[in-house]
Amino acid sequence: MLKNTGFTNVRWGEQVDVFSGSKHESAAAEFDTRGVTFSAVKV
Amino acid sequence: MSTEVRPAAVDTNELRAQISEKYTEVALTPEKGFHFHTGRPLARMHEYDDAVVDALPLGVVESFAGTGNPFSLGDLKPGETVLDIGCGAGFDTLIAAQQVGPGGRVVAVDMTPEMLEKAERGAREMGLTNVECRKGYAEELPAEDETVDVVISNGVINLCPDKIAVMAEVHRVLKPGARFQIADIIVHKEVPQGAKDDIDLWSG
Repeated sequence: MLKNTGFTNVRWGEQVDVFSGSKHESAAAEFDTRGVTFSAVKV
Repeated sequence: MSTEVRPAAVDTNELRAQISEKYTEVALTPEKGFHFHTGRPLARMHEYDDAVVDALPLGVVESFAGTGNPFSLGDLKPGETVLDIGCGAGFDTLIAAQQVGPGGRVVAVDMTPEMLEKAERGAREMGLTNVECRKGYAEELPAEDETVDVVISNGVINLCPDKIAVMAEVHRVLKPGARFQIADIIVHKEVPQGAKDDIDLWSG
């Protein structure tokens, strides 16, 4: 999607289990949900 | 990491209203407890520097509800123009405003008035004059074409049913060669289309 919308140099940071210990934990775990950071540059 | 992205079949206006109602609560009653983490414990989870968080007004910190740390991808540069999509109470906005300094500026966009008020109040409390808060939506950013050096966002795009429209807007406002630094959530297991189309599952 990012390349199709005109971005390049996509970088991904570490993934974090952001819902661990929260009320949403079980629902998030069902879909293996993770927090993530990413960046890219406009072509 | 490539997958087909299709807009969810939900009523966008109804979804916005539900999400705004939820985040109004996060703004006004942050101690209430939500289905996601908030506040300083969340900031620690995302490895924000304690000294950076200590410098922010309490009202801003307590309503923080991000899913990551956009600055972990690199600090902003003095003089840059930044646009913060879904700024909330201004947690990242105010950090960004300090990083770009008085020669830069931060345009903070959110659809929830109570959040924007907190962000504006936080900027005033910190004496930051390079923050401008604007009401708006991620799919219709209130900014001119090619005027922004860096777009930041934290835990917002996952709440937008049309992610392609959001990224098209990010592309529109960025200058050529400019960048975005975004924190958000991803799923590693396919979410059934029926669940994507169920508006009640979006805001918890």
